[in-house]
Amino acid sequence: MLKNYNFVANLKKALIISAAIMLVGVACLAIFGVKLDISFKGGTRIQYSYTEAPDLDKLQSVAEEVLGGDVEIAKDEAGDQKLVTLTLTKNISSDQQESLHERVAKDFESSKLTVFNSNTLSAAMGTKFLFRCLLALAIAAVLLLVYVGFRFRKIGGLTAGAAALVALLHDLLIVFFTFVIFGIELDNNFVAVMLTILGYSLNDTIVIFDRVRTLRRRSDASLEDVVNDSLHHVLRRTIITTVTTCVAILAVLGVALAMGVTSIVSFALPMLLGAISGSYSSLFLSGPIWVRWMNKKAAKA
Amino acid sequence: MKRTPKAAFFIVAVVILALCVTSIFGVYGKFGDRTDTVIRGISDIRWGVDIQGGVDVVFGPADENANPTSEQIDAVKTIIEKRLVSQNITDYEAYADAANGQVIVRFPWANKSQSAESLVEDLGRTGMLQFYEGNETTTDDNGYSIPKGTLVLDGDDVASAEATYMQVSETSTQQEYVIALKLKDSGKTAFANATKKLAGTGKISIWLDFGEGWAKENDQSRYQMLQDPDVNEAITNGEAVITGFASYEEAKEIADLITSGALPFSITDKSISVISPTMGANALSAMGIAGIIAMIAVCVMMVAIYRLPGFVAAIALCGQMALTVACISGYFGFIPSFTMTLPGIAGLILSIGIGVDCNVITAEAVRDELRAGKTIDGAIRSGSKGSFSAIFDGNITVLIVAAVLMGVFGSSDGIFGWLFSWLPVSTTGAVYAFGYTLLIGVVTNFVMGMWLSRLMLRSISRLKIFRNPWFYGGER
Repeated sequence: MLKNYNFVANLKKALIISAAIMLVGVACLAIFGVKLDISFKGGTRIQYSYTEAPDLDKLQSVAEEVLGGDVEIAKDEAGDQKLVTLTLTKNISSDQQESLHERVAKDFESSKLTVFNSNTLSAAMGTKFLFRCLLALAIAAVLLLVYVGFRFRKIGGLTAGAAALVALLHDLLIVFFTFVIFGIELDNNFVAVMLTILGYSLNDTIVIFDRVRTLRRRSDASLEDVVNDSLHHVLRRTIITTVTTCVAILAVLGVALAMGVTSIVSFALPMLLGAISGSYSSLFLSGPIWVRWMNKKAAKA
Repeated sequence: MKRTPKAAFFIVAVVILALCVTSIFGVYGKFGDRTDTVIRGISDIRWGVDIQGGVDVVFGPADENANPTSEQIDAVKTIIEKRLVSQNITDYEAYADAANGQVIVRFPWANKSQSAESLVEDLGRTGMLQFYEGNETTTDDNGYSIPKGTLVLDGDDVASAEATYMQVSETSTQQEYVIALKLKDSGKTAFANATKKLAGTGKISIWLDFGEGWAKENDQSRYQMLQDPDVNEAITNGEAVITGFASYEEAKEIADLITSGALPFSITDKSISVISPTMGANALSAMGIAGIIAMIAVCVMMVAIYRLPGFVAAIALCGQMALTVACISGYFGFIPSFTMTLPGIAGLILSIGIGVDCNVITAEAVRDELRAGKTIDGAIRSGSKGSFSAIFDGNITVLIVAAVLMGVFGSSDGIFGWLFSWLPVSTTGAVYAFGYTLLIGVVTNFVMGMWLSRLMLRSISRLKIFRNPWFYGGER
C-alpha cells in the first residue's frame, strides 16, 4: 500500500489529517474541558463497596453532615465490585474520615459499606505536585532534544531537532486529547504516559534520521529522495515494532477492560494511541518537514 | 575474525532457561521444618500498596508556617516508624522530605478490626516529652506502668537533642556515641536542682506521654520510657550529655524520639490515600494474564516474521523478562529488591513490546544485506554492525525518560530523586516503579537483545541445517 508512497511530496495530506484530529481534540477540549485528578487539584474522594444499594440522597446528607461541605455522590463499578463514590472539593482529616466510616457503617448497616479506596489532599499540595510534573515533562523534552541535536549535528542538528519537536508535540497532543475525549482525569498516569510517548516517539524519529545520515554519506541524491528512501527503508521496522508494542499494550488494555481495573485502562488506552501516533508522526511528519525546512534554508542562502 | 563456536547458542539458551526457572520459582532450601530462601522468585516480590492494599500518608506540621528543620522532620519519621513497628507493621516505607517539611509513609494494611484512618491518626500523634526524677514506676488504674518520681521538665523546656561522637571523660581520650541535650532557659533551674539532688546516686528517666485517648484506643500505657541515664554530676548550664550507646544509630533513634516529644508544632496527616486489598488482588491477576498474552503474542509474531532471528529474539525476550524480574525480586544480592506496583508491571509488559525493537532492527538489516547478495555470515556481521547506532540512540532516549520518571515520582532519597528534591513528592508512589521497570528494561535489553541475541544468532547460523538464507528472510 505504501510501497511507492512519496512521503515528502504528500506532507500536505498528512498535515491535513493531523490538523483534523487536532481540531476534534480542541473542540472536545472546549466542550468537555480538562478534568484534573485529586492528586493535582486537591480534594477528597472516598469509594465504598456495598452489597445492597444504599439510599444515595440519605448517604449524601449524612456525609455532608459529618464532613461539613458539599458532597457529590455517584454510583460506580469496577469489575464485579459495586461502588459508590463520594467527592468533596476540600481535603479532610483522618479524624473526619474515621467518623464518616463509623457513621455510615451504623446508618447503612444492611448495605455493608466498606472502604474500597480513598484519597484526600490539600489544594496547595496538588498545585505544587502538578508543577513538579510539568517541570519533569519540560526537563525530559529539553534533555531529549539536546541529545538528538548533539547526535545529529551532521544532518543539520537544530533543524532536525526542531522537526523532531513538531512530531513530539503532535504525539503529546494526541495523548492529551485522548484523556480529554474519553473524559479521563489527568493524574500520575497522564504524566507517565506523556513521558513514555516522548521517548518512544523520539526513538522512532531517531531510527529514521539515523538512516538518513547513513544514506547521505553514501549518495549525492536530492534531499527529498534520500528522505523518501530512508522512510521506505525503515517502514517495515517501524510498522513491526509498533505492532509488537501495540499488541503488548492491547493485552494490558483488553484484560484491564474485561476485569474492570480502571486505573490501568486510563494508562493503557492513551499509551496505545500515543504509540500509534508516535510511529505515524515519525513516518509522515518529522522527515518530510525536515526536508521542507532544509530546502527553505538552502533557498535563502 | 574469530568464529563463534556452535556450542555458544546452546550454552546461552540453557543459561537463559535456568535464569527463567529460578527467577520465576525461586530456589528454597528445606532444613527440617525451616525453609530458607536461597534465590528469590516471583512469590518473594514485595508488592506495592496499590496491589496488596494499604495506605499512603503524608505527615507534616499542622501549622502551614511552621518551617520545621531537617532534624525535626527526622524526629517525626523516627517516631512514626517506631509506632508502625509496635503495630507489627514492618514492611513499611518511610521517607523524610526535609525540603518540604513532610514525612511520607506507605504501608500495607488489611486489618479489618482497626480502620486505616484511625491507625493514621495514631501514627501522627506525637508524644509529650517528660523528665522524671528516678526511674521507679507505679501502676495506674488499668494496670499499666507509669512514672512515679517527681516531674522535672517537659518537652517545652528542651531546646535540642543531637546524637554525636565525642570524648566524654577528661581522663581518657576514648570517644563514644552520646546524645548532646540542650535545655531552654525555662528548664535550666529545675534541671540544675534535680541533678544536684541526684548526682552520683540517682537516675533521671525520660518518657513520652501519648495521652489518655491514645492509651484507651491502643490498650497500652500512655507512657513510654526512652532512657534512664545515671546522674553523674550537677548540671547547671542546661547542657547535658547522655552516654552509654553502642552505636550511632542507637543514639540517633533516642535523640530523634526526644526531639519528637519536644516539637514546637503538632503533626497532622496532610494527605491520605487508602486502597482496599480487594481492589489490588483483581488487578494483579489481570496484569499477570496480560503479561502472558503479550509474551506469547510477541514471540509468535517474531518467529512468524523473522524465522531464525525471530526465534533467537523470542529466547532473548524470555531472558530479558527473567533478568528484569530478577532485578525486581532481589535475585542478585547486590541489587536490592524493589516494591512492584501496577504501573510497574505495565512497564514490564510494555518493555516486551518495545524490547524486541532491537531484534527487529537487526533482523531487518540482515535481511536487506542478504537480498543485496551477501552471504549469511557477511549479512549477519554487517547487519549487526550497521544497526548498532540506531538501537543505541533509541535506548538512550528511553533511559532519559526513565530517569526523569523516577525523579519526579520517587522520594528525594530514591534513585534520581535529587532531580526534584525541592518540590513536594507524589503522595502515591505507584508510578515510581514504572520508571524503574523502564530503566531495567533498557539495561537488560542491552544484555539480551543486543549482546546475547547476536552471539546466539552468529552461533546458531553455523549449524548445517540453518545454512539456508530462507531462515534469515532471504531467498531460498
